[in-house]
Amino acid sequence: MPSWELLRQVRVLDPMSQSDFTADVLIGEGIIQAVDKEITALPEQVHIRDCHGFILGPGLVDLYSHSGEPGFETRETLLSLTKAAAAGGFTRLVVLPNTMPPLDHPGGVKFLRSQLAQQPHPPLKLLAWGALTVGVQGEQMAELQDLAAAQVAGFSDGQPLQDLALLRRILEYAQPLQKPIALWPYHLALAGRGVIREGSASLRFGLPGTPAIAETTALVALLEVVAAVGTPVHIMHVSTQRSVELIAAAKARGLPITASTCWMHLLLNDQAVGSYDPSLHLAPPLGDHHDQLALVEAVRTGVIDAIAVDHTPHTYEDKTVAFAEAPPGAIGLELVLPLLWQTFVETNKWRALDLWTALSMRPAECLGQQPAKVAPGQPAELALFDPRLTWTVEPQTLHTLSSNTPWLGKQLTGQILQTWCP
Amino acid sequence: MVTATWTRRHILSLADFTPAEYNAVLQTTASFGEVLSRRTKKVPTLQARVVANLFFESSTRTRSSFELAAKRLSADILNFSPGTSSLTKGETILDTAKTFWAMGADLMVIRHREAGVPQIIAQEMDHLGAQVGVLNAGDGRHEHPSQALLDLFTLCSLLDPETPQLELLKGKKIVIVGDLLHSRVARSNLWSLRASGAEIHLAAPRTLLPPQFAEYGAKLHWQLEPALAGADFVMTLRLQQERMSQHLLPSLREYHQYFGITRDRLKLCQPEVKVLHPGPVNRGVEISSDLMDDPRLSLIPQQVTNGVAVRMALLYLMGSGKTG
Repeated sequence: MPSWELLRQVRVLDPMSQSDFTADVLIGEGIIQAVDKEITALPEQVHIRDCHGFILGPGLVDLYSHSGEPGFETRETLLSLTKAAAAGGFTRLVVLPNTMPPLDHPGGVKFLRSQLAQQPHPPLKLLAWGALTVGVQGEQMAELQDLAAAQVAGFSDGQPLQDLALLRRILEYAQPLQKPIALWPYHLALAGRGVIREGSASLRFGLPGTPAIAETTALVALLEVVAAVGTPVHIMHVSTQRSVELIAAAKARGLPITASTCWMHLLLNDQAVGSYDPSLHLAPPLGDHHDQLALVEAVRTGVIDAIAVDHTPHTYEDKTVAFAEAPPGAIGLELVLPLLWQTFVETNKWRALDLWTALSMRPAECLGQQPAKVAPGQPAELALFDPRLTWTVEPQTLHTLSSNTPWLGKQLTGQILQTWCP
Repeated sequence: MVTATWTRRHILSLADFTPAEYNAVLQTTASFGEVLSRRTKKVPTLQARVVANLFFESSTRTRSSFELAAKRLSADILNFSPGTSSLTKGETILDTAKTFWAMGADLMVIRHREAGVPQIIAQEMDHLGAQVGVLNAGDGRHEHPSQALLDLFTLCSLLDPETPQLELLKGKKIVIVGDLLHSRVARSNLWSLRASGAEIHLAAPRTLLPPQFAEYGAKLHWQLEPALAGADFVMTLRLQQERMSQHLLPSLREYHQYFGITRDRLKLCQPEVKVLHPGPVNRGVEISSDLMDDPRLSLIPQQVTNGVAVRMALLYLMGSGKTG
């Protein structure tokens, strides 16, 4: 197979230059060799592909997802996770540390790296969040300097940290390390046993509700600590309208924060829970209609910087229980792009660039990484997407080992054809 | 008996019940009430049919009521209780339901401590093409349709024993008092009472009665007395002991002090007022003990009796739609 490829007349989305244009793109030796209206000077051995109607953008970046391995290999292995992520268009992915054992020490991070090294040509760059606290228990600070030396992407427990005194000290201690810190503001006592946003829907469906203030009170406290300490923080899992307002105001004040919401919160709201599909049991729970609208608008305007996948595999046995008893979370890596594209781009709610920016450039920036560019001379970190290809979500069509998603059995339009990762 | 119009395979919620369906249940229940007053209280209607009682949450009253109803209809009964099941051995709720389907169950009566389980099982049965009817016998705090229907029958048959109909409750002031937040009975009652055109008032401490209940078309009261003024019927709900540990109430004593139904408080109501309770009653908490046993005021024994007839009617209506 020739190593050079020419993508003829592909629609290029380049968030870094905020441009959207159609061109020929020549890729060879892991580099974008040329981008031009029409490329005529071609090397001898080149595979030419007609890309009319296809989209080429930088590879997608996922801020936080869950690996089953180590500890829960029946849910997902690192191999299946990387395959699923690549099939979904991702070229960078950061896994959360709540594996078994948790990634709270350099050994865990090294194990992850050695497992990945067994793949000769990994289709993407997989990194890890090092735990903030020992055992991700939220009680004692993990050895953050050691973790930083082991080259974690940043620090996060992937769970809400309840102890504000600990939070303050972590932000102080980690400040000189200059690594991203991702926190999920969520007050567990206020959240209670809730499995759905508290409101009309929780009442009608007879499910215990979690009030929006479980998120917003914790967010206010977090913002105050950030303002006092000055360490930059990434706010994960934003799910309420009020949080969007608080984040916009904090950014306007110049606080060093970025924020992300999870993709399903953009597509669905609490009314969907009437199906009692355990795959709709998420943490935090889906918001109401107003929350959903506010999040969609906040992604478009950039108040919410990035869309995270929070891919959370669970086995059939784990999820085939009552809604409230199911462990929260759903898979997503292979579904995010087609569903968001159909819902927001095809309907003109967002520009194609808005979506691609929130899924590639801005998550990379939240991680303090250099985002990929679609420009001559740049490393080829790309995803090629056919927005019209239809496929059915089934265990056989998915690369992830789990199939806990409300879209199981549904037909989707749009699929990644190929990714390139340097 | 009216079966020609009955097309509903599953009874999971009363949210989308039509007036015709309520009246079909009421009239069929009246017919079975007549059967139950005979010396031979058994009819062959569901002979050779299999009714599976899948009670994932333990229950004595509702399960016994369904069991007796099925027996009176000559059905074969399979009982399932979680204590003796494989649920702890990794079997899922769908595995359990499929096992009973494979044994030939025609109707499944399902109770679970969490909302939505009957609906998920019904969906799975439909997906498999199984001709199985699922009846929700109480799921979490979601719904308890058969209890609300027996309450409806108890009220309507009191107003007209010969032809109990939904419309009899139009304009009647009905007060539901108690732990609405956690009550599946109240959620089903709200749908049926709303369909009847009754004037619905809800009364409880603010912690147990969130404002969103107004969306059911009910008037909310965080004090009891204004709710009771001129009421025709008072429906009380069970209060669970654990509500105190959830910071919802300071004590059962204070609850009874301010929201307990007593003879004195009933004087605010219509002179003919009647009190209902889905049982089991915490004597001296929701209702004062002596009031519960007063046949002039309490409809509690009638509720239990009518429960069997209503459940016969529901099993009959659901089971008569197909040939064995």
